[in-house]
Amino acid sequence: LQPPEKPLQDVEWNRLRESFQSPEIFEEVMFNSMIRCNSPLDVAKSLLTHVAKRNGDIAYSLLVKYVALCVQQGQTSEIQDVYDIMKTRFKILESGAYNLFIRGLSNSDQWRRALTLLEEVKKIMVPSRTNYESCIKAASSHKEMKLAFELYHEMLAKDLVPTLDILHTLFDFSRGMKDAELQKELFGVLLYLRENQIYPHKTFMRSIKLWFESIPGGNWKGHLTHITESGRCPVCNHQLEDSNLTEEEYNNLRERIIRDVIHGTDTFRKTSPQEFEAFQTFVENRLPFDIVVDGLNVSHIKPRKMQCENLLDAVNCLAKGNVRLLVLGRKHMLMNSSNWKREIMKEMQNKADFFFAENISEDDAFLLYATLQSGKHCKFVTRDFLRDHKACLSDSLTRQLFRKWQRGHQMSKKTFLSVFLQQPAFQYDCVVQTTGDTWHIPYKDNFEEKYSYQVPRKWLCIQQK
Amino acid sequence: MQSANSLLKKIVRSSVLPFAAQHGMKKDFFPLSRTLSSSLCLKQDKSCSPSEKLDLDEWKKVMKSGVQEEVGEVVSEQKELSSSAGAREILEMWRLAGRLVPENITEEQLKAFTECPSKSAQKKYLKFLYLKELYKKNDKRKMDKKRERRLETQEQAAKTDETKRNSFICLWSNSMDRAYNWRVAQSMVFGQPLVFDMSYEKDMSVREVANTVRQLVLSEGCNRRAVDPFHIHFCNLKTDSLYQKEFLKHYREAWGRLLVTATEQCYTEVFPKDKLIYLTADSPRVMKRFDHNKIYIVGSMVDKSIKTGVSLARAKRLGLETAALPLEKYLLWNTGAKNLTLDQMMQILLTLKDTGDWKKALEFVPKRKYCGFVSKPVHELKKTLNLMNTLKLGKKQEEIRKQFAKNYSKKLIQK
Repeated sequence: LQPPEKPLQDVEWNRLRESFQSPEIFEEVMFNSMIRCNSPLDVAKSLLTHVAKRNGDIAYSLLVKYVALCVQQGQTSEIQDVYDIMKTRFKILESGAYNLFIRGLSNSDQWRRALTLLEEVKKIMVPSRTNYESCIKAASSHKEMKLAFELYHEMLAKDLVPTLDILHTLFDFSRGMKDAELQKELFGVLLYLRENQIYPHKTFMRSIKLWFESIPGGNWKGHLTHITESGRCPVCNHQLEDSNLTEEEYNNLRERIIRDVIHGTDTFRKTSPQEFEAFQTFVENRLPFDIVVDGLNVSHIKPRKMQCENLLDAVNCLAKGNVRLLVLGRKHMLMNSSNWKREIMKEMQNKADFFFAENISEDDAFLLYATLQSGKHCKFVTRDFLRDHKACLSDSLTRQLFRKWQRGHQMSKKTFLSVFLQQPAFQYDCVVQTTGDTWHIPYKDNFEEKYSYQVPRKWLCIQQK
Repeated sequence: MQSANSLLKKIVRSSVLPFAAQHGMKKDFFPLSRTLSSSLCLKQDKSCSPSEKLDLDEWKKVMKSGVQEEVGEVVSEQKELSSSAGAREILEMWRLAGRLVPENITEEQLKAFTECPSKSAQKKYLKFLYLKELYKKNDKRKMDKKRERRLETQEQAAKTDETKRNSFICLWSNSMDRAYNWRVAQSMVFGQPLVFDMSYEKDMSVREVANTVRQLVLSEGCNRRAVDPFHIHFCNLKTDSLYQKEFLKHYREAWGRLLVTATEQCYTEVFPKDKLIYLTADSPRVMKRFDHNKIYIVGSMVDKSIKTGVSLARAKRLGLETAALPLEKYLLWNTGAKNLTLDQMMQILLTLKDTGDWKKALEFVPKRKYCGFVSKPVHELKKTLNLMNTLKLGKKQEEIRKQFAKNYSKKLIQK
């Protein structure tokens, strides 16, 4: 359905309507296509007039669609008019209309009205984060940074996750302002990035850099760089934070793993209490291990080879240099079969400690337990991303701890497959970090696809001269 | 309402000038805009109808005038908006905006709506109510039509007035019921027990419990009509549990007369442990044949959020034997989870009991979940399936499929 190019008379609308296959929804369909084609406002007005004359009233949904058209074309006075009309006609409005009004008004010189609308929304529901985004953008583009930050804190208090755009705007419009309070707020934003392990994209990073360099009298200087494996920044020669958890975090994580992952709602789902107890005493008697291996996972690395040979290769490789190895497996590995030769299994058991779980138990849970119990130096080997176990953890904070610990202690697939390098990929922690006179901010390219388990390799180094 | 509106419209049309002046709105000034638009029309476009006067803002006047009287009452009402009334208003507005929202909503449903933890939960709940309402309406419409048609045929029959003669006794549903009940009663004395384990209430949401009970009611119905019914046991069924409440909702007073055994006891207390077999899709053991001397247990659980191993954990805890249906062995599985609904389980078990024929029994697995029965070894079938797909989709797809198959088999081995 193609919308007309000029306003039509009643007769003509009637004719169009009759020719449409289902006249009841003609106006709706027509408005939708007007929005799609971005038709001139006059055409829409003439249709509204036609409807008003015929029915003496205009349906709410049509008005909302008209507002959408107005917002699309930035017709502020018209938006306000419709708002007044709708306000007198209906007791309250629903979220869709409010979204449109807030978006439309925040882009105009009437942006303060968007704030009053936000107040109205708060009375009936929790505003969406895009509502806040419009208002914060409007406030900061009019240099009302204080107001913008008030709104920002308000949305954080409501458990809304700010879009990267919001944070970006805050930096963009604070450029060149000399205000200690404001500076503190923006450092707060950077710490928010740190706490939630958010990585800014390139344009956002630029805006952070420019802001730092624009602080009057701050003498900040930013450089783009890559950090070496050892975690030393090549620009300022500063050593980044290491990836180890603190004592408290470590204990916390260990307790949560036992509680949420191994026991969960029912210990029997992953193991059984007897088996877990047996495993616990087994581990206690032989502590501490240096490397814990997920035997079944490792045995599938090369599909052409016999499974026990794969495992033997891994054990031989890892057992060099006097490390204490623990290999986890299942009982079926002990049965002499085409894939599991008894002699080879015997040979391996001389080089490493083995624990065989029941065939229907989850060995991953044991893997986590043994590694955590052995202490901070202990690493584990598996190609599994352990996503399902991470998902068992009940709060996001512990999940982040888990990810951080995993990054530092899991021997990654690549290093493992090539040369069994005995070091994890990251010795340093990949988050926004500061020492007061330096800031290090990891960032990613604008359209870079990044998996959640990957961390960016590019960094912004900012130091104060 | 309609007439009032049209009346207002007339008033507006006849007396726009004083009305607009009174409100002091310049851009609504009618004669001005009229001359403006008409002159534009003349200048630009002669095809524009000669009767001119295209006032583009006329709708605003209509809208504004339509409400003048209502405003007073609106203000007075707004003061005493309780939360539930407020929610009702929002729903009404959403409905006007064209969202999927039910027309009528009870206080109970409204409460459930306001208690939804998130916006998406609210949306889902509303959609559910909306669809429910829609189905109900459609059913009602169909019923009405049917009734009409029946009345018509009756009238015609009355006109022709033919006396029917039939040497067979007409079997009404009443007597059918009696026959069925007789059979079930017999099975309660001599029949093979089948246990439904009703201890999953805390693993389910309210809606899942409702679905479970619905499936149980269906299974009970299947069982009643079977040639050789099971003796159904609802074990671990606590009085005043949610299960019980839902049962009462379905059966009303018939619940007391139902020919099943409902008990608060566990099945391990009722039956000897070595005779029990817990049926669960997670079981590593696959059922080979139906054993008439064993007592099968089915977990009464609808699991929409895929919690694996819940029923297996229960069986493990009690040290019971477990078994899974041999779905992989007989069916070329396509999509969907291997756990089946309770009534499907019931149909399958009944058929197995009568015939012992897996093929016949597994007919009750939903058709969408499998491609067909396995006639040849599985790897051969997969080969032909791949071949067909290459012919159909080209080579690239084939590679993807191969990759998938590889990963899939790997997964199976690892398990």
